[in-house]
Amino acid sequence: MNGVAVELLKSVEQFVYREARCMDEHRYDEWLAFWEQELLYWVPCDDTDEDPRRAVSIIHDRRAQLEQRVTRLKGRYAFAQQPRTRLLRVVSNVEIESDSGESLAVGSTFALGDWRSDRQTAWFGRNRHVLVRHGDGFRMREKKVLLLNNSGALGNLTFLV
Amino acid sequence: MGGNPGGAGGIDALVRDDGRVHSAIYTSQEIFDLEMERIFHRGWVYVGHESEVPNAGDYRRRTIGRQPVILVRGSDTRVRVLANRCRHRGALVCENDKGNAKQFRCWYHGWSYDDTGRLISVHAPEGYDQTLDFAGNSLTEVPRLDSYRGFLFASFAPSGKSLAEHLGRAAGYMDISIDASPAGEVALDYGVHRTKYHGNWKLVGMDGYHPTVLHASMFSLRSKMGQASYQDPWEDASASATRHLDNGHVMLDLTGSRMHNLQEHLDTWEKVEGGPEYVRAMRAAYGRERGDYLLAQMGDPHMGVFPNLQLIGSHARVVIPIAPDLTEVHMFPMRLLGVPDGVNEYRLRRHEFSYGPASFVSPDDAEIFERTQIGMMAEADPWLNLTRGIRRETRAADGSIAGRITDEIPQRYQLQAWKDMMSEAA
Repeated sequence: MNGVAVELLKSVEQFVYREARCMDEHRYDEWLAFWEQELLYWVPCDDTDEDPRRAVSIIHDRRAQLEQRVTRLKGRYAFAQQPRTRLLRVVSNVEIESDSGESLAVGSTFALGDWRSDRQTAWFGRNRHVLVRHGDGFRMREKKVLLLNNSGALGNLTFLV
Repeated sequence: MGGNPGGAGGIDALVRDDGRVHSAIYTSQEIFDLEMERIFHRGWVYVGHESEVPNAGDYRRRTIGRQPVILVRGSDTRVRVLANRCRHRGALVCENDKGNAKQFRCWYHGWSYDDTGRLISVHAPEGYDQTLDFAGNSLTEVPRLDSYRGFLFASFAPSGKSLAEHLGRAAGYMDISIDASPAGEVALDYGVHRTKYHGNWKLVGMDGYHPTVLHASMFSLRSKMGQASYQDPWEDASASATRHLDNGHVMLDLTGSRMHNLQEHLDTWEKVEGGPEYVRAMRAAYGRERGDYLLAQMGDPHMGVFPNLQLIGSHARVVIPIAPDLTEVHMFPMRLLGVPDGVNEYRLRRHEFSYGPASFVSPDDAEIFERTQIGMMAEADPWLNLTRGIRRETRAADGSIAGRITDEIPQRYQLQAWKDMMSEAA
């Protein structure tokens, strides 16, 4: 890997780490600013990630739904987040899968611990970000999250993943 | 609680006719064990839909109460429910959640069964001196399986009430889900949202009193529905109703409000890809009056079929008791046959808005069930109050018991059916 490639990888890693911290800390508006105007936030379900028109998803948000999600979470009546779930995630194995110049496909893995109602839950998954170059940094056009247990019975997943 | 909850006066004393209910029915392990025996291992229990096993060899793993079973279509085209347990030493013979198989093979000692459950081979059969009765060692079949328009129900009781008797008036209302398709057919092939919460299975209930309060965050997102002409179906004074159909099957019957709001529903379909075509197809299939009734319902009977099936929104919901304080809820979105793809996609995305572990409605339900389960441990005064509307119950023209949308008719009559089943000795 040459110096330019290392620098690109570093900047991509820093971006996904910042996004992770933003989600951990429930900074919803800041997280919304990570996104492009046209977006897809997709968490497939039931071990199927081929065609969301033919299968139910855990989350399948375009901008309108994502803004509703954030509005709901910021309000006082989203009881599944009152009180907020405490979150800590480790993002790793960051790889640039492809680079078209305008955008990059980035793979990564995460381990996420959640603490709520005296109970700790472990989540694991694989992210695939499509990042668009924006000024000195990036914005997210797509984010797909493949949860390890997306075919299992899941508890409260109303925080950002 | 001590003593024998199923004994004389035990169950009867816990669910009182005046709407007072003892919280032990949600917290006691003894009660839960008795529920498994007398409700889930005896009565009619929903096990799946015919569209999940369309071809010979198609199978799904399911549970009935505590018992692991396989729902499978045999090469003779018959659908069966078979105990998922090798007749030799009891190991599972089917490990995958779903699939297609000609055989179910036990990987312990190689006993193999065909897709009708018949034992066809064992490893080293000579050790049985040719005395092994193959025909008598089929996978154990659940004795009764019946269907209402594709919805399959099984019962471990070899005889008793038929499925039609069990469903009673509920069957006609299930049609609201099925006849949302102009072809009169749905398929449960969009996958499933599996969720769980740390609370009792009966808390899923069917409650018209809570939405305005518990789901305020969702309603505020939908405030565009607040035109002056729009009637909120969840308001006490609305034309909506709570209804007891038969045998603990209950309904939040939103028909009155929805017919009032018919134009809003039709306007919605105008904006959906394929929606106008769908409206025309429904009126052509069912006539203008029934067609508009079904379009206004949006495929949502909002009903519970006791003990474990609900039809809500565009999905079939299955309630799976795991322990007194642990429940899984599986939600299967229904695909309508004979409609444009855009209509089904609209229904799927609308489902995801409200239901599933990351959605805007059902996680708040799960949260309040968990708080209820914890709160009920304060047993200094164990009596719950399910009396709302008990003095304004009426008998509707079709014989069902009806009340206002916020009344606790569903809670009272589900628990009446529960009490009847729990009080029946073998």
